[in-house]
Amino acid sequence: MPNRLELTGITKQFPGVLANDHVSFVVKPGEIHALLGENGAGKSTLVKMIYGIMQPDAGEIRWNGEPVVVANPKAARKLGIGMVFQHFSLFEALTVLENIALGMDAKIPSRELESRIREVMETYGLALDPHRTVATLSVGERQRIEIVRALLLNPQLLIMDEPTSVLTPQEVEQLFTVLRKLAAEGCSILYISHKLHEIKALCDTATILRGGKLVDTCDPKEETSRSMAEKMIGTGLKDIVRAEGRAFGQPKLVVNRLSTGKTGHFDVPVDNVSFTVRAGEILGVAGVAGNGQNALLDALSGELIGDDREAITIDGHGIGLMNTTERRRQGLCAVPEERNGHAAVGDFTLSDNSVLTARDRLGMVMMGLINSGAAKTYTGKVIADFAVKALGPASTAGSLSGGNLQKYIMGREILQKPSVLVVSQPTWGVDAGAAAAIHQALVDLAAAGSAIVVISQDLDELRALCDTLAVINMGRLSAARPVKDFSVEEIGLLMGGVHGSMETA
Amino acid sequence: MMRYRLEKRPEPSKLMLYGTPVAAVVLTMILGCLLFSAIGYNGLRAVQEIFLTPLTNPYKWQDLGIKAAPLIIIGTGLSVAYRANVWNIGAEGQYIIGALAATGVALMTWGMSGWWILPVMAIAGMAAGMAYASIPAFLKTRLNVNEILTSLMLTYASVQLIYYLIRGPWKDPMGIGFPQSRLFSEAARLPNIIPGTIVHLGVPIAVIVALIAWFVMSKTVFGYRMRVVGAAPHAARYGGFSETRTIWLAMLVSGGLAGLAGMLEVAGPFQRMVPGFPTNYGFTAIIVAFLGRLNPLGVIVAGVVLAITFVGGQVAQTTIGLPDEATGIFQAMMLFLLLAGDILVRYRIRRVSPEASVGAA
Ligand SMILES: Nc1ncnc2c1ncn2[C@@H]1O[C@H](COP(=O)(O)OP(=O)(O)OP(=O)(O)O)[C@@H](O)[C@H]1O
Ligand SMILES: [Mg+2]
Repeated sequence: MPNRLELTGITKQFPGVLANDHVSFVVKPGEIHALLGENGAGKSTLVKMIYGIMQPDAGEIRWNGEPVVVANPKAARKLGIGMVFQHFSLFEALTVLENIALGMDAKIPSRELESRIREVMETYGLALDPHRTVATLSVGERQRIEIVRALLLNPQLLIMDEPTSVLTPQEVEQLFTVLRKLAAEGCSILYISHKLHEIKALCDTATILRGGKLVDTCDPKEETSRSMAEKMIGTGLKDIVRAEGRAFGQPKLVVNRLSTGKTGHFDVPVDNVSFTVRAGEILGVAGVAGNGQNALLDALSGELIGDDREAITIDGHGIGLMNTTERRRQGLCAVPEERNGHAAVGDFTLSDNSVLTARDRLGMVMMGLINSGAAKTYTGKVIADFAVKALGPASTAGSLSGGNLQKYIMGREILQKPSVLVVSQPTWGVDAGAAAAIHQALVDLAAAGSAIVVISQDLDELRALCDTLAVINMGRLSAARPVKDFSVEEIGLLMGGVHGSMETA
Repeated sequence: MMRYRLEKRPEPSKLMLYGTPVAAVVLTMILGCLLFSAIGYNGLRAVQEIFLTPLTNPYKWQDLGIKAAPLIIIGTGLSVAYRANVWNIGAEGQYIIGALAATGVALMTWGMSGWWILPVMAIAGMAAGMAYASIPAFLKTRLNVNEILTSLMLTYASVQLIYYLIRGPWKDPMGIGFPQSRLFSEAARLPNIIPGTIVHLGVPIAVIVALIAWFVMSKTVFGYRMRVVGAAPHAARYGGFSETRTIWLAMLVSGGLAGLAGMLEVAGPFQRMVPGFPTNYGFTAIIVAFLGRLNPLGVIVAGVVLAITFVGGQVAQTTIGLPDEATGIFQAMMLFLLLAGDILVRYRIRRVSPEASVGAA
């Protein structure tokens, strides 16, 4: 049987970056093939060329033995190549069904499409109401739309660019069942992820890229996560260093009976949430996507302003009625879940993106004038300190790879030295080395006396990073307890909504 | 049956972005030539008279200047508002109301002299333009009424207000029955800046306004606010820019500048209020804003291009008897081609074939 996909000498040059440098490898029918590499190694670029979004500058693509030119995504779909992107392209105001219909090459009557969607969802266990509006869905649910959309085409090769960044362990397990089933039916899968234990659990072969070059091929089942990470980075991996026997300071961020109204704009409102984060403490908020995390973040950041001044206090000052700018002046910075179009503006340069949140705290504005020199200097510092792969402060945010944009955004907030930092999914899409660096930066910020809230679905991350942990479920938050007191099973049960030990202080 | 659909291009190129306005103008000339040939005019001559004569004939340059000035001032204001996705379509109304307020000051100070009269007229004109633009702003921010409709409809109300005022309270006592205001006194007329021509103070003011706007849009927090709200409203909220405030600012700036243009126009070329005062500068400025890529520097160039079509239209009317409406046709074609070009830069057309299954719609 011919190889499903064979790449020979694929090369792609961007201004100033050689994103792919003579990459060659093969994917066999029914094989689950991992594509690994640091942020900016060129993984997304490579699969975009396979899917026809970009054209290689040099090299050959063979599909089932035949040389092909994939002129555009439509041609790719025609060949039988499906793709789920790192960033979704969905219309917020439309329903799941309408979004899927828009992505189809052929016009299918909506009733027939709906029954096919339900069939795919049923076969692969992907629960989603086709008539819900995308704006009301969490990131995890949005991703399911993309997966369904790809599966509707009965692909022979399914490309998945970081599909699990936002899924819960249960959802990941479900997805793997789907993928294994597909592979057993003969569909090849090209799988990009930074979660190496997933690669071990799922993939048959791994191709490792570094700086655009293919540096290694291995069998993930024979490697450890650490050894693969070190192959990617090319050097040893660092562990989080934290001072032993730290004592927490005074309560810094106190949230008291915080509730948000149902605006219909985000998933679930928060309901009577109370918690305290002391100086030097990192509080983790675990939970399945769509349980009020977005509302919690918006309510804390000030994008959503409540009616009780004392519902949120920093060092005893009520900030519940302040907007985001005033809260930043009070020392509260926040990073929302969605990077593109929310935490950063894709069309703007990184310098301009720094102005978005750092202008007041770092004196980038004088009498209404933007000091672009200051913005540039600060952006340069973020790029250097967080090892962001970008040409410089003048690169547009949209030209960065997913993980590098994430590193930039985290750096932009952390280097402002906020006294309270609230972050959602801090290492979403970030490679193992950079994730360790971000974790270290958060730990250091806490050690310097800041209070930190980390909202995440990644239990490993929460257990490694946090001092205390609370679980959010249907907008309600369990009491926070030291992270050591939780077993994995217990967190899993709490996330699933078993309210056994749930109580509001 | 074939269906077509627009598909987003991964990245529109910079060259295409700035190339489309040029291509739109060139295509307008070609299509205009074909169109007027088809209906029995000398198409080539028509295009030549409309687009080239105003440039090659030095006598026409002063006309270009005074036609371009109001277009540039209004177009600059609109480009600021449109950047923030605030669609003020009623600049014509704000321009008229601004001119009426300036006329009011001129009539109240009639017979007086003093350097302060013109500045007071300018302030009155801007304030009136802002006030008129604040009606759609209020309706939008309070009741979420679409600003496109309200600002457009208010334009028609403003025209009626001219007719009422110059037939009634402001009617010229020496006007032998003509519905028009009396001629402004010397102190309320814009001085000429080049002796022997009709070029008035409004021309350099227009260029200065555009330059200031360019500076504000690229270097200040105000400009940043407009750009970020337009580019990513969600990120703007995260960055602390409220949508309500942005809508107000965008409306006030565009309304104020339209009002200023109205004042300059009535104190410059007209020197009195007449029924023929509304000449659709406020609508043409929409084309100017888009042709100038919503960039104040581009607006200066675009203002001159549209002024050429006005002046050239008049030339073609006298030399080859082209109808008055020809100018409008050329301008509309330009906007249409520009917008179509913009869509093709950002999207490409994809053919969708109905699936070979039962009941394809
Ligand atoms: N449109 C573009 N213009 C310029 N440079 C680009 C563009 N797209 C990607 N790059 C650059 O190419 C390199 C590879 O990017 P790519 O998105 O393929 O990385 P990646 O391996 O997918 O990283 P990540 O894990 O962070 O998603 C990066 O340095 C990136 O900045
Ligand atoms: Mg990527």
